[in-house]
Amino acid sequence: MELVFLLICGGVAVIASLLVIFARSTLHSALWMVLSFFMVAIIYVLLHAQFLAMLQVIVYAGAIMMFIVYAIMMLNLRQEAKSKVATRISKVVGVGALIVLFLELTLIGVSHNMATIQGPVTDKLVATYGRVAVISNFLFSDYLLPFEVASILLTAGVVGAVVLAKREK
Amino acid sequence: MLEFMTILIIKTLVAFTVSLLIVAYSTWIERKVLGHVQLRHGPRRVGFHGLLQPIADGIKGFFKEELIPDNADKPLFLLAPIISIGAAVTLIVIVPFGDKITIMGHEITLYLTDLDVGILFVLGISTIGSYGGILGGWSSGNKYGVIGGLRGSAQMISYELSLALAVIAVVMVSGSLSLIDIVNSQTGLWNIVKQPFAFVLFIICGLAELNRTPFDMPEAEAELACGFNVEYSSMKFALFFMAEYCHMFVFAALVTTLFLGGWHGPFIDGPHWFFLKCFVIIFFCVWERSTFPRLRYDQVMSFGWKILLPFGLLNILLTGLWMLIFNM
Repeated sequence: MELVFLLICGGVAVIASLLVIFARSTLHSALWMVLSFFMVAIIYVLLHAQFLAMLQVIVYAGAIMMFIVYAIMMLNLRQEAKSKVATRISKVVGVGALIVLFLELTLIGVSHNMATIQGPVTDKLVATYGRVAVISNFLFSDYLLPFEVASILLTAGVVGAVVLAKREK
Repeated sequence: MLEFMTILIIKTLVAFTVSLLIVAYSTWIERKVLGHVQLRHGPRRVGFHGLLQPIADGIKGFFKEELIPDNADKPLFLLAPIISIGAAVTLIVIVPFGDKITIMGHEITLYLTDLDVGILFVLGISTIGSYGGILGGWSSGNKYGVIGGLRGSAQMISYELSLALAVIAVVMVSGSLSLIDIVNSQTGLWNIVKQPFAFVLFIICGLAELNRTPFDMPEAEAELACGFNVEYSSMKFALFFMAEYCHMFVFAALVTTLFLGGWHGPFIDGPHWFFLKCFVIIFFCVWERSTFPRLRYDQVMSFGWKILLPFGLLNILLTGLWMLIFNM
């Protein structure tokens, strides 16, 4: 049952990601991306990670894609402008990178046994505290430093974006 | 297993029927209350005091001519109302009507599901739903529609943040994201007493998310000739309309659950308190619509970012300090 759902969601996610690239209208690309994010969220639910799934929907499918849709509508990009970015070299590099990435992922998949990987979030902890509590406990104790560093990095990114946007005036 | 499935199916049917009836009759409440506030009568002709008006409206919607503009983005034009109503109806799943009751020896919970991440589910799905209006405006190929859609998405991004901040404060005092646990944590004292600022913040941002009058930027009649749904006719328009009122019911249910103690009340706890509180909130939504004029667009934006957002952050900080000092 779970496998069927996984195959359907994964398949739709892959097809939607391809359509992001191939769709003719810019807005359609953005919407395929929303669908792809949504499908990934369902896969998270299948992995019993509801909290992550909801964050995926709120942050990626909701907020970030809403921003992109807003930008597309604001700039009125009805049809895709003829792209002059794709030169011959970039095509070769792109295909090369794709092959390397694919090989890398297959290699990892073959060499590691995924079933034996153990994380800090175990079934026993989840049963006693509930999913969200377990994640937040780890986030604010063992992983506090990485968490804070990541938030400082994001804040720096926001400030940097504001500085870049203001400079042109 | 069979028994479980039967109970689940009956429960789902009852919950959805009741909710959609409330949704249909909140249009009647809206027209009636607005009418009396403006010294009119409102609908009177169909049924006793217009009680059959929502049904007549629905039938009328089916028989009207359907138009699709030539320069519309056809697939998106068809998809937009579906997204809107789909997301709005999905939200009914998490509405907690009441606690457990026993009927004929079976213990039945008066909610469809108790999600671990209930309140986040509401936030996520309602954002997905707002794509409906935005895409509807864009795909109809009408400039008023596009402006309405643009305003809708900008408003959504701005007010969703403050709404989430209000919710976080409630989650802090309740200690759970599950709506059932949040209701149960308010047995003695309702959250409106513990979190009055979050309550005000939630009401304001909720009205903005609902696109109701002081904030109805996406469909400002006087400026945009109804905005995002200007090109929609017949049942597609009715679907947008239904989605809007469905969101209003979910909003009322959320205010009841998060701040007004859900199904708890004096004398006997039960779903009757839930429905009573919901109707008070729905009445409030109509009342404020007939009271306040529409804000200017730039005022809506600066109010959201410069006042509500810092206010929400401050509220969380104070709540945290309070909990730390009094060791709650």
